[in-house]
Amino acid sequence: MADRQTSSPQLAARTPAQELLDALGPITGFHDSSSLGAFGMPSGAMTEDMLASAATATVATRFGPLEKVHAFWFAGMSCDGCSVAVTGATNPSVESMMLGAHPGLPRVILHHPVLNMESGPHYLRPAEEAIEGTLDAPYVVILEGSIADEVVAHASGGYWSATGEEPWGADGELRPVSSTEWVARLAPNAAAMIAIGTCATWGGVPSAAGNPTGAMSLMDFLGKDYRSVLGVPVVNVPGCPPIGDNFTETVAAVLYFLQGFGPLPEFDELGRPAWLFGETVHRRCVRGAYYEEGTFAHEFGDPECLVEIGCWGPVVNCNITSRGAIKGLGGCMNAGGACIGCTMPGFPDKFTPFYKRPPGSLASTTVSRLVGSVIRPLRKFSNDNLNREVRWDRQGASPSAFSREKTEPSALADVGHKFYDKMRRAGDTARNDADVWGKRPDEAPSGGSPRIRS
Amino acid sequence: MCFKTLPVEFDDRGRATLRGGIPNPYDVTIAKPDVGMDETERRERIERLVARNGHIKDLNMDPVTRIAGALAVHVTADLDKGQYLDSHSQATLFRGYEVILMGRDPRDAIFVSSRACGVCGGVHAHCAAYAIEQAMGIKPPPLGTVVRNMTEAAEMGYDNPLHLYLLAGPDYSESVIRSSNPELWPKAESWACPNVDIHGFRTMAELMTALNPLTGSLYREGLEFTRLSREMVVILTGKYPHPQNVVPGGVSTTLTLQSLNEYHSKLGKIFDYAQRMLAVWDDIPAFFYEADERYQYVGHRPTNHIDPGYWDDPYAYDATYENCNAWGEKRWSTPGVVLDGKLVTTRLTDINIGLEEFVEHSYYEESQTSRFPTDPLGNPISPYHPWNKRTLPMPGARDWKEKYTWSTAPRWDRQVVEAGCYSRLLISALAQKTPTSDFISSTGSSMRLLIPKGERGEREVEWHVPERWNAFERNRGRAYHYLFSQLVGLESLFEAYKLFKQGERKVAALNPEELEKAIPQDERVSVGWWGAGRGWLTHHLVMDKGKITNYQIVTPSTINASPRDPWGQPGPYEEAVMNTPIIEDLSDPAGFTSIDMLRAIRSFDPCMPCTTHAHTGAGEIVREVNTCSCGGD
Ligand code: SF4
Ligand code: SF4
Repeated sequence: MADRQTSSPQLAARTPAQELLDALGPITGFHDSSSLGAFGMPSGAMTEDMLASAATATVATRFGPLEKVHAFWFAGMSCDGCSVAVTGATNPSVESMMLGAHPGLPRVILHHPVLNMESGPHYLRPAEEAIEGTLDAPYVVILEGSIADEVVAHASGGYWSATGEEPWGADGELRPVSSTEWVARLAPNAAAMIAIGTCATWGGVPSAAGNPTGAMSLMDFLGKDYRSVLGVPVVNVPGCPPIGDNFTETVAAVLYFLQGFGPLPEFDELGRPAWLFGETVHRRCVRGAYYEEGTFAHEFGDPECLVEIGCWGPVVNCNITSRGAIKGLGGCMNAGGACIGCTMPGFPDKFTPFYKRPPGSLASTTVSRLVGSVIRPLRKFSNDNLNREVRWDRQGASPSAFSREKTEPSALADVGHKFYDKMRRAGDTARNDADVWGKRPDEAPSGGSPRIRS
Repeated sequence: MCFKTLPVEFDDRGRATLRGGIPNPYDVTIAKPDVGMDETERRERIERLVARNGHIKDLNMDPVTRIAGALAVHVTADLDKGQYLDSHSQATLFRGYEVILMGRDPRDAIFVSSRACGVCGGVHAHCAAYAIEQAMGIKPPPLGTVVRNMTEAAEMGYDNPLHLYLLAGPDYSESVIRSSNPELWPKAESWACPNVDIHGFRTMAELMTALNPLTGSLYREGLEFTRLSREMVVILTGKYPHPQNVVPGGVSTTLTLQSLNEYHSKLGKIFDYAQRMLAVWDDIPAFFYEADERYQYVGHRPTNHIDPGYWDDPYAYDATYENCNAWGEKRWSTPGVVLDGKLVTTRLTDINIGLEEFVEHSYYEESQTSRFPTDPLGNPISPYHPWNKRTLPMPGARDWKEKYTWSTAPRWDRQVVEAGCYSRLLISALAQKTPTSDFISSTGSSMRLLIPKGERGEREVEWHVPERWNAFERNRGRAYHYLFSQLVGLESLFEAYKLFKQGERKVAALNPEELEKAIPQDERVSVGWWGAGRGWLTHHLVMDKGKITNYQIVTPSTINASPRDPWGQPGPYEEAVMNTPIIEDLSDPAGFTSIDMLRAIRSFDPCMPCTTHAHTGAGEIVREVNTCSCGGD
């Protein structure tokens, strides 16, 4: 198996997806839907039909050609954390997407094992229709979790990760169908293939060194030449877990574009939404200024920059410090967690052992310590001055009882501040000599209420 | 004397020894549990019935939806008698996290193992931290433990409503009742809810309509409250479900008055909601039991529960195995084992040494060793104990007689025990060892919980040990556990304020440099005992020369979804399904939905990142039974 995990995709004649389909052979049919009865259909209707009355928009408010889109959510080698993250999203939320509850948003018919009412073969019927080519609307496939090397498991008659059964065994026997096989069969006619989370986008933890399953990413599986029917390569929304809003926003952006009113969403060279992953997380880190000033956390829980206790933020593409994890709250470094690069193709093995400073940070922390040793005292100096009302400067005393211990600035500091004020006011047009004729000429020179006239 | 099956005795000082004179004490042919019906008998019975009766269906529900992960449940159903004759629970996913962890630096275990489950975020990360701390002898400062408790209480605040309203709730909703149990609907329309003044639904029909998926108000409110609790979690952990703040020896949260206040403000909204939640999940069983008493048996199984306890006493927890019985009993939820309704132990060492994991019917090679004949205190442990077990995956064909699942079969004293968040209530209620609290007390047969005032007035509620464990009691228990966990969150928040008042700010024992130096070079074994949204969670760690040489995770759903063991005892899901009467309307056999089985299975809150395979095959039903459930396929 080691060979299967290290052989170069450039040399392979076939993609892993083609290899798997070749090993499995052609399929002949599907569940005989007439014999299924109501088994697994306790509400007597598919989720799609149950929600239809609440979710269907008329042409007048649809703002575009799409009335509905099917979204098949498959879990490969996943922890379901991406599903959980998406249920936390609110921009837009998953329930509002399923109900088509935003103007212009087509109804998303989500086939998700955690949300749907129907179980068993009925649950998989729409996926069968998609393969047959009889589905009534375009579909996208969303993969959470990495793709297992099912060729290996198949050779021993089993599977690593399965979703449902189909009569695809010898003589039409039912056999478990791996999630990987569903993905391979659905990919050619999909409008888009979307990988959510670091497992599906880059392999993630299931593909870490020493893994027994040959786990890989969706891109690795479908190969460089894969294009959806709309001509789109695999779209990747990474994160372990991803931020729920990053995912729902990407899907919404694509749908708004297809509806004709949204701009073309931009994706970077790895298929990531460029507006979300274009920056390193360090650039918008709430602790960034500590790095600039050369002050660093040494104990867990310290408020300063976390780089010396293991933060990889300066070299990691992620937006959690600005977007937050859920409803704008949280964010790794916001709370005190050092970045371990969970959005990155190199995760986890290029970031371990954890809780250890990235060696590359040595150069930049040395520089920022140096710069910081000059900058910090200067800033402190100005900050002290700005913490005083102008009135206190005039009166030469601060009335704050909290500051009883604090001495007034020294004569030297005063000179410094005066000099600083001069620089600040250079070019201040308030100093030009135009006559201020709109107010009383005997106004108090320092402002405030007019002098009491006798 | 807590062991019935294992040949383990205790001396006067409470130390365990193996009973003398038994050459191979842990051999499966020697220490045998009492088994009601073995596999051969069960199969013969089915064959006899099939011969006389054409109404037997062999079905595989794959996937079972509205659970977390991949589970399939295979059933053999007698539609004439309304019984499930047989059931096989299949976890259909393997990822190899234990295998990936082996050979790594122990510092990797927290963030790698966290990825074992994204449904209850943080529980694996914490459990791994406990295992590492024990192996390396690092005791977290009190504030570190308090932050962990706050995090994990809020985590339950997300987990319990997610299950009750998104996963299980729809099974009791108007949309399902009108279709699968039409006879109940007129009753529901006229049944006045006793708790109307709390939840506001005048009739059961109104309440059921509010449970409708996506459009019902209870569904939507449940989803919102899962978000609110996740907001509380990420204030402390940075993100959800995989926390970024857990470190060996504590946490790395930068705790400020702002974090405490934000946690506090959100928690305040939860107590009013908890009152509504209890009112809903008290009224649902009342209605169903009254409508048809057979509902008492949906998902029924004996009261056999296990739990290692949850949420530590920040002053008692010292990260040692030596003192684990003392600090274990001080947890907010008491560790313990209950067999047939009787509490047999509350000692973590007993819980640990009675544990074994079998793979007869799982896609793994036999993997027991005798590397560690005893625990670090000299108590004997089995070759099947996680410290002696290895993970050797072996995918293969599904065969009900041989191997059919990726789940293993954990057993305690070779008995089939169940794990659940409600097990915490049960064990804590019976043990009467919960810490002194204004809000939480244990009476020996119930838990008394005081709900503090919110916009609604304060109220004391009581959860009683149910007479019969079934699907309804699991759901009710989960609702009370929601309140229990949030009260632990409140107590922990107050503890954090207290420590802040004392000027305490230290949240971790070591800094990263000290941590690196603390990694021991000799061989160590340890165990993290923790909990998840579904109860029990353990990580067993072996390390040597500073690296992980074995890592074994036992999750609650491994226990509950377990297959047959070497003696043919079905796992908890399997047993619960076989005890479930088919109550749904069967006037037309084609209309058989298997809702009663689904209610039974979902009440456990399966979290496999696993599947229940029940398939309705095409063609002759009897032929399928012969080829499938009796012959293996
Ligand atoms: S904590 Fe990390 S991301 Fe933030 S400033 Fe420091 S190095 Fe950059
Ligand atoms: S900051 Fe780092 S660890 Fe946190 S979510 Fe982003 S990439 Fe992952």
